[in-house]
Amino acid sequence: MGTPQDTGPVVRGTVPAAGSGRPARSRRSRPLITYGRWWWALPAILAVLLIHYLATAGGALYAFTNWTGIGDFDFVGLDNFRRILEDPASIGSLKNTLFLAFGFLVLTNVVGLLLALALNRTLKTRYLLRVLFFMPVVLSPLAVSYVWKFIFDFNGPLNDVLGWVGMEPRTWLADPTLALWAVLVVMAWQTTGMVMVIYLAGLATVPPEIEEAAALDGASTWRRFRHITVPSVRPSIAIASTLMLIQGLRVFDQVMALTGGGPAGATETLATQVYKETFALSNFGYGAALALLLTVIMLVFSVLQQAVTRDRS
Amino acid sequence: MLAEQYSEETGVQIETQPLPPDSYGLTIRTQLQGGNAPDLMMFSPGAGQANAVLPLAEANLLEPLGEESAALVPEGSESLYGIDGEVYAQPTNLIPVGMTWNPTAASDAGVEIPENSDGLIDACGPLADEGKSMFVVAGSVPPNPGLMAMAISATRVYAETPDWNEQRAAGDVSFADSEGWQETLQTVVDMNEAGCFQQGAAGAGFDAITQGMTQGTSLGGFLPGSAANELNNATPGLALEVQPFPPAEGGEPYLLASSNYALSINAAAEDPQKQAAQEFLAWMAEPENAARFTEIQGGVAITGPDENLNPVFEPVRELLESGSYAPLPNLSWPNPGVYDALATGVQGLIAGQGDIDSVLQGVDQAWDQ
Repeated sequence: MGTPQDTGPVVRGTVPAAGSGRPARSRRSRPLITYGRWWWALPAILAVLLIHYLATAGGALYAFTNWTGIGDFDFVGLDNFRRILEDPASIGSLKNTLFLAFGFLVLTNVVGLLLALALNRTLKTRYLLRVLFFMPVVLSPLAVSYVWKFIFDFNGPLNDVLGWVGMEPRTWLADPTLALWAVLVVMAWQTTGMVMVIYLAGLATVPPEIEEAAALDGASTWRRFRHITVPSVRPSIAIASTLMLIQGLRVFDQVMALTGGGPAGATETLATQVYKETFALSNFGYGAALALLLTVIMLVFSVLQQAVTRDRS
Repeated sequence: MLAEQYSEETGVQIETQPLPPDSYGLTIRTQLQGGNAPDLMMFSPGAGQANAVLPLAEANLLEPLGEESAALVPEGSESLYGIDGEVYAQPTNLIPVGMTWNPTAASDAGVEIPENSDGLIDACGPLADEGKSMFVVAGSVPPNPGLMAMAISATRVYAETPDWNEQRAAGDVSFADSEGWQETLQTVVDMNEAGCFQQGAAGAGFDAITQGMTQGTSLGGFLPGSAANELNNATPGLALEVQPFPPAEGGEPYLLASSNYALSINAAAEDPQKQAAQEFLAWMAEPENAARFTEIQGGVAITGPDENLNPVFEPVRELLESGSYAPLPNLSWPNPGVYDALATGVQGLIAGQGDIDSVLQGVDQAWDQ
């Protein structure tokens, strides 16, 4: 039996509606045209299958060829994948992708949750601050990246500020040790507002009475956060971490706009390498293999992440 | 402009299809395979660039051209324009590549072009102390460091061994074992360490080149000759010129110059359109029309310097007349990845990443793919 708010049986017609006194219409006697038939989704399902999955599968076939984008090609088995494993540039791209993905996952979730906690209830200016923190999310990643490129420029404002405090200017986007961090900062800066909103939605479900009761019982702020807030926002953690992980793994715009993958591949990711190999260097087969590898990595990490964050209560 | 002129003279209507340069190669390839490519297209000679002509000719997507087109192909460069004795691309004009030099800024700074690269490197430090730089480099855009390396390689590699690319293709030599290429990259490292590039060069974009060259804060840069002409046209009072990069001590000046653009006909075009395109190419090959194209684009006539030589190229007239030049090396390289490996490798050297041996080994690897 459902909860008092569960209207499913009524909507589905399995129990009499309150006060109607009439028996529900049996499943067999339902008219053909009604709400909620599964086959209503059929056109969308077919479109997704044809446009998305079939096209993707077709593209994946090229991962096993030496096609250059022009003319004929031969099937080369797993040669492209062997080449990926032997190519230091591809291994570097894989490492950079994982660094950015997990750095992005941690940074956006930690900062997003902290912002959400800070702007949840008490602060009077919370609505204004929420808007301010969310605003970068609605901007184009390319536009944001170009603004940050100006900020990171050798003659840009960041080095000006460093100069005021007597520090040496840096080539932020051309320094192999700094460039990847710079990309991560830009990614996180733009997306943290989105994570904050997800956590705010989760925090709205936490009853203040329980927190007040715990506080009266002498629970510290950390214990209230650990034992009341976190379990309540667990679905938000699952959603936010999944989205951020996937977004981090497929990062492209920010890298292309900020560094183009440089210097000398120091910020190259799998997604930018797929683009470069496929469209700039005409190695369609190799690019398809990289794309397939990226897809598999995203799939594996998404499944693992779902397993880690699932509700075990 | 030439299409309009041709239409006026012949009554043949030409519809032009402008495409952005950064996606040109990909768009044209897609159109060629999709059957909706233009009848007449512009490509890069050879096979070393994304919009190169030879892979398309090998895939039978281009139409063999006539005698007028073949007659324009520079001697020794036949392999860049055709295969199996057929010519598939008609060269347009020569674009010299050396160092783009601002003589006014150099004169103001009291710098004369040294006879050799050691003298040039020695002059970099004092110039940097004055807040100027010998060269401006767009280090964040790999093709610019790549072009710099190729310009330097003219005297280190191709002056002594003009057929070095053919030897590499035959497997007789390699980048990693080539003294010339090692010297080329060592010159880049030496220039970087001596402060020859502007501050923050490793992270600079093309805008830095435009600013540095037009404002005179840098004396030189590495650009195709036609870009120097464009900057002159866009900046009143600016008189950039193309100079050969100084050779190593005891070396002779040498230059890169080749037709970076060539015209081809779509093999899938209808016969009347093919015929019309052939006639247009024949018209383009006529000296006065070729000269007009050269004037518009800012290069050198494909037949060599004449009385109409653009003042930008006057300093390299002798080299061009004496044939002391080689085609842009990457035109002859087998795939775009070779130049990409060189360009990103040199980018890394400027940013303090990697070493000469690993860069050259990477270039060899890309060649062998």
